Amino acid sequence: MSMMSGVRPTKGYLMDMKRRIGFIERGCEFLKLKRDHLAKELTASIDILKGRRSLLLNNLKEAYDALTAAYISLGPTEVESQASSVKSALKLEVLPMSVMGVRYPYVKILSKPQVTAELDITLAHASGKVYEILEAIIQLAEFEARAERIADELGKTNRKVNALENTVIPSYRQVIKFIESKLEEESLEELVRMKRIGGALASRRE
Amino acid sequence: MKLGLSYVVIRTHALIANLLSQAQTQRLAESKDVEEFLERLAETPYGRITVEGASMVPIALERVFYEKFLERILKIVDLTPQKIGAFLQTYYYLRFETLNLKRIIRGKFSGLPSEKILESLVPINPYLVPSYKELADSASVGEAVNRLKGTPYSEVITKLKLYEQYEAIWPLELILNHVFANAIFEAVKTLPERDRRIVYNIVEYEADIENFLVAMKQRQGSKSGANLEEMFPATYRISLEKLREVIETKDLKKVIDGLGESYAKVLSPIYTGDVAMIRTGLRRHKYETVTSGKATNAFGFNVIMAYLVYSEIEKDNLVGVGWGKAQGISSQELMKYVVIPRPS
Repeated sequence: MSMMSGVRPTKGYLMDMKRRIGFIERGCEFLKLKRDHLAKELTASIDILKGRRSLLLNNLKEAYDALTAAYISLGPTEVESQASSVKSALKLEVLPMSVMGVRYPYVKILSKPQVTAELDITLAHASGKVYEILEAIIQLAEFEARAERIADELGKTNRKVNALENTVIPSYRQVIKFIESKLEEESLEELVRMKRIGGALASRRE
Repeated sequence: MKLGLSYVVIRTHALIANLLSQAQTQRLAESKDVEEFLERLAETPYGRITVEGASMVPIALERVFYEKFLERILKIVDLTPQKIGAFLQTYYYLRFETLNLKRIIRGKFSGLPSEKILESLVPINPYLVPSYKELADSASVGEAVNRLKGTPYSEVITKLKLYEQYEAIWPLELILNHVFANAIFEAVKTLPERDRRIVYNIVEYEADIENFLVAMKQRQGSKSGANLEEMFPATYRISLEKLREVIETKDLKKVIDGLGESYAKVLSPIYTGDVAMIRTGLRRHKYETVTSGKATNAFGFNVIMAYLVYSEIEKDNLVGVGWGKAQGISSQELMKYVVIPRPS
């Protein structure tokens, strides 16, 4: 019983172990709550993600078709020349956000591209479509990162809860049980010894 | 060297025979990838084209097709008798030069190096400006525009203030459109009476459709501080009033139907949102117009116009298909935008 090596079967140690297991059990309860909350968040996120992604895929296809049509209609050189008139690029700032202690990136759009030339209608149509979904693409990426990190954290929390429930807490209980039985044994021995001493003293007095 | 019209017409008939046939165009559009496209192209009068080492295969291909097209029109435009030749020069050279000037301005605006700007130009010799290199080497948009002083494009300089005010190049592009539209308007007037009809049917129809597309863009909320007269310097059968209606109406279909069957047919893809199909429809319209013109008079200017239009459609088809094949676009998707010639 290697687990019991280093265990001091004393009342002080028993009290310390009981205090520790109480703390661990409370922690385990919190972790279970966190796990349930994360699971709820993840289920909701996955549902939203599925809807957003299929909507975005449709919009992306439309944007891609419009861009293809612009390329075929104008030729690649003209498309690239007109596209070069996009004044400023997309500027983003990535900030940290947190849900149940899980940190995920929040993307803030600082500036959107600005077209300053007289675009051909086919390209204007395509750029309009891309412009419409730009924010949605960023939001989806942010949401995917959030769901991914929640899933990671859920996995970690679940492993922690399992480890506490199946290994740590039972081993502590075993140690407590061991110390209690040792202490009981010692107190019985003490009682017997006392009785014997009491008996010896009584017989000496007689 | 200017020769008689009959000589040019006979020569043009011979050149028409060298254009891609219906079967060849279809076969090219149905190639499974760009390699097969080039293999099939090698079996046509284009011969083997090498684009190995090119960083952007579709752009290298586009350049080759442009060069072939320009080589073809040069053979005709420079030989055509005075008045018709002058019109064709305006229609083609001025159009491409205007396009080049826009590309130079855009390039300067976005800070592209001058070599990159020169690579992006339509490979023609400067027509009304002394040098494209000089313009592309300018330090800024303002300097490039100021170098147009003394050329027929000097009007662009007057729009520099607007460019600075809005920090946008659309005022410069609009005025270039204006210069081109006015030049075409004047050039058509110099044509002999008998040749004007086919030109009207092509140039004016094209300008009407392009005006309509600009109006549609305004309708979709595109920015522009310009007034309608500035925006549409030349209008023909679709008047300024009609264009205003296009921008403001709630019932677009009613306005389009009111433009007549010929316009309604070409503009119908607008309802499905496929605006590029309108250009395909326009090319098809030009193809039909010159084909019927050629059938009416096989020994006049109509034949020259037909050859030039066929050549440009072929160039546009090949540029589109070449790009599509390099991008892995399905043949079915590409065929929508290709104007397949009729069997000869």
